[in-house]
Amino acid sequence: MKSSETQPLEYSTKQNELNIFGFWMFLGAEIMLFATLFTSYFVYEHRIGSGPLGSEIFKITPVIIETLLLLTSSFIIGLGINAMRMGSKKATLTFFIITLTLGLGFLGFEVDEFLHYIHEGATLQTSAFTAILLMTLGTHGAHVTFGLFWGLSIILQINKRGLTPEAANKSFIFSLYWHFLDVVWIFIFSFIYLKGMM
Amino acid sequence: MKGLFPFKQVAGFVSSLILTGIALLVYFADLSFNTSISILLITAFAQALLQLVVFMHAGETKDKWSIYGNVYFMMFIALATIFGSLLIFLWDM
Repeated sequence: MKSSETQPLEYSTKQNELNIFGFWMFLGAEIMLFATLFTSYFVYEHRIGSGPLGSEIFKITPVIIETLLLLTSSFIIGLGINAMRMGSKKATLTFFIITLTLGLGFLGFEVDEFLHYIHEGATLQTSAFTAILLMTLGTHGAHVTFGLFWGLSIILQINKRGLTPEAANKSFIFSLYWHFLDVVWIFIFSFIYLKGMM
Repeated sequence: MKGLFPFKQVAGFVSSLILTGIALLVYFADLSFNTSISILLITAFAQALLQLVVFMHAGETKDKWSIYGNVYFMMFIALATIFGSLLIFLWDM
């Protein structure tokens, strides 16, 4: 067991420690949010009515690109937290900016994918399958969008005030959020796209 | 410069790329449904665990058992919800 003296920067005060623990509790609730979406997805997956099947509208190339963008951004923000623990403000900011840029790229591909679905006649109103598909992807995409603004505000704060214990704490919590979105995407990638296309 | 790319995180990233590649086999190789689903279950949960331990630093602090306890309990509830619903609505039990 580590003593508090050897704890990393983002854990430097009792309040910071509780903030991080509280965020883990929130992530527990987020697991449940996405679990209910996946439940509905699996139940309605084959209720396509007169709309298209998953295998008819999914395209492998954008899905692979989106996955690589998000996996890489998750790795890069990990490097950002590592740089933050080393006390390098410049490296931290650089890694965070790369992370958000990759996130923005992911979002661009997802918007394009949604336009493709609408073009193919797969909208929220088409069938139970397309409704829950767009709901699940959209909830994840909305989280990424929110994360971009959140991350941007943290970059501005570090830039202005430096790597203070507060900024470090916020950065670490944001990194937890970003990694969590990557985990959710891995399940979307595996059990919505790949399962739908195999 | 070397300290900016710690081995543990780089290895974690490479592993996640490999696991993604293995998962893609279900699309590019001609496998049975049961084999494919087994591959996806293993690669997805391995990747989730990788993120949790390597990137989210879940086991590094003194409140680690509270964190793991919370996450595993929620995952149990999530899986019970998903598979319980599948039992009722799809598998007719």
